[in-house]
Amino acid sequence: MTDLRLTIHGGHEAEARLREVLAREGFRIVEPPRAEAADLPALVVEPAGHAHGVPREYARRIEELERTILELRNLDVAKSQFLTNVSHELRTPLTAIVTYGEILRDGMLGEITPRQREAIESMIGSCRQLLSMIEEILTYARTNAQAISIQPSDFDVDDVVRTVHDMNASLIERKSLTFDTDLAGDLPRAHADRDKVAHVLGNLIGNAIDFTPDGGHVQVMARRSRADRTWIEVVVEDSGIGIDPVHHELIFQEFAQVDASRARIHHGTGLGLAIARQFVRLHGGRIWVESGLGEGSRFFFTLPSVEAANGAAASGSAAA
Amino acid sequence: MSDTQPLVLVVEDSEPIRTAFTILLEESGYTVAAAPTGADAVRLAGGERTPDLVLLDLGLPDISGIEVARSIKGNPATRDIPVVALTGRDDDGSREALLAAGCSAFLLKPVDTQALIRALPGYIANTGPG
Repeated sequence: MTDLRLTIHGGHEAEARLREVLAREGFRIVEPPRAEAADLPALVVEPAGHAHGVPREYARRIEELERTILELRNLDVAKSQFLTNVSHELRTPLTAIVTYGEILRDGMLGEITPRQREAIESMIGSCRQLLSMIEEILTYARTNAQAISIQPSDFDVDDVVRTVHDMNASLIERKSLTFDTDLAGDLPRAHADRDKVAHVLGNLIGNAIDFTPDGGHVQVMARRSRADRTWIEVVVEDSGIGIDPVHHELIFQEFAQVDASRARIHHGTGLGLAIARQFVRLHGGRIWVESGLGEGSRFFFTLPSVEAANGAAASGSAAA
Repeated sequence: MSDTQPLVLVVEDSEPIRTAFTILLEESGYTVAAAPTGADAVRLAGGERTPDLVLLDLGLPDISGIEVARSIKGNPATRDIPVVALTGRDDDGSREALLAAGCSAFLLKPVDTQALIRALPGYIANTGPG
C-alpha cells in the first residue's frame, strides 16, 4: 500500500497532460482537499479498483512519469531561452547591415549608379525580411515560454487598423490592391493589449496582402460580436487564393505551411498564425477562418471591449 | 565650424552599429560623441559640451538604457537633453517605463535612417517629453 501524492510543477498544461496519461494507465484521480491545494497544484491518484491505495510498482511508474514530464518541461524552457539568445545575437549584425546599406544607398559615402542603388535596395529588403522572420521566431519563443503577459489599455480599433495599414502602404500600392475599412458605428473601444492586437492584425493583413494577386481586394471590418455584444469581432477579408477547408485547423499550428511550394513563394516561418492565436487566446478570445480554394479568405478574431472589461470587474470574474 | 553643428551622443554597445550611426550623423551635419556603455553615456552627457540629443540603445552591457535615461533626466545639468530610445520589438512593456524615465520618443530598430535624419531637428527642438 502506498499513499501517493503528485505535485506538478509547470502549470495547467503539464497537469492536463499528466491527467491524460494517468487516465490511460488506468488510474483514478482523487482531487486533493482544498486546504492542501492552496500552494501548488497536486493530484492524489490511485489505480481504479484499488480502493485501499496504490501498489508499489504503480507508485514507481507514476514517479517516473512525473520526473519525465518535469524534464521535458525544463527542456522546453531551455530551448525557448536558447532561441531568445540566438535571435538577439542574429539581430545585431543584421541591424548594422541595414544601417550601412541605407547610408550607401543614400549616397552619403559617394555617388552611386542606379544599378548599384538597385542592388543595395535589394540587399536592404532581404535583410529586413530576415529580421522580421527572426522577430517572429523570437516572439514565438517568448510566447511559448509563457514569458509574455497582457498589458491592457483602452484604444480605438480604428487606430490600430490605420497603423497597420500605414506599415503596409507601400506593399498595397505596389500590388495595386484596394484596401477598405468598415467599422460599425456603435463599436466600443477595445480593452486589450494594443501591441498584441496590432501584431495579430499585422499578421492577418500581411497574409491577406501576400496571398492576394495584384489588383485584388483586402477589407478590414469590426463590429460587436453576435455571441457576446460586449466583445468586438474583427474580420480581415481578402480576394486571394483561399484555403481548403481541410487545412483550416492546420494553419494555426506552429511551423505549418499548407504546401511546401507555396511556402517558397510566400516566404515565412510558419509561425505567424500560431502566434496570432496565442495572442488572441491570452485575451480569452477566439480566432478562426472561413474560406474555400479560390474563394478568398475571411479571418475572424474576437477581443474584449471596455464594456466586457467593466462587466468582468463588476461580476468579479474573467470574461470567457 | 563643428561647434555650430548640433552634438548628438550615440549610446550603442555594438561597434558596427555605433560606427554606422556616427557616419550617418556626421554626413548629415551633426557632430557625434559615441558611448559604448551606459557609464560612458552618463559621463559624456555631463561632459564639457552638453549634447543636444542622446540616441540611446536599450541593451547595454553595464547598466540598462532606462537607468541611463533616468540618470540623465535626474541630473539638473543634463535633464534638458532630449533622449530618444532605440528599442527592440521584444522590449516588452518598456514603452511606459521609457516615457516615465523621461524619453521623448522611442524608435524601433533597425531604424529607418532617412526618417531618423528627418526627425532629428524636431527631437532637438523639443527639449523634454511631450
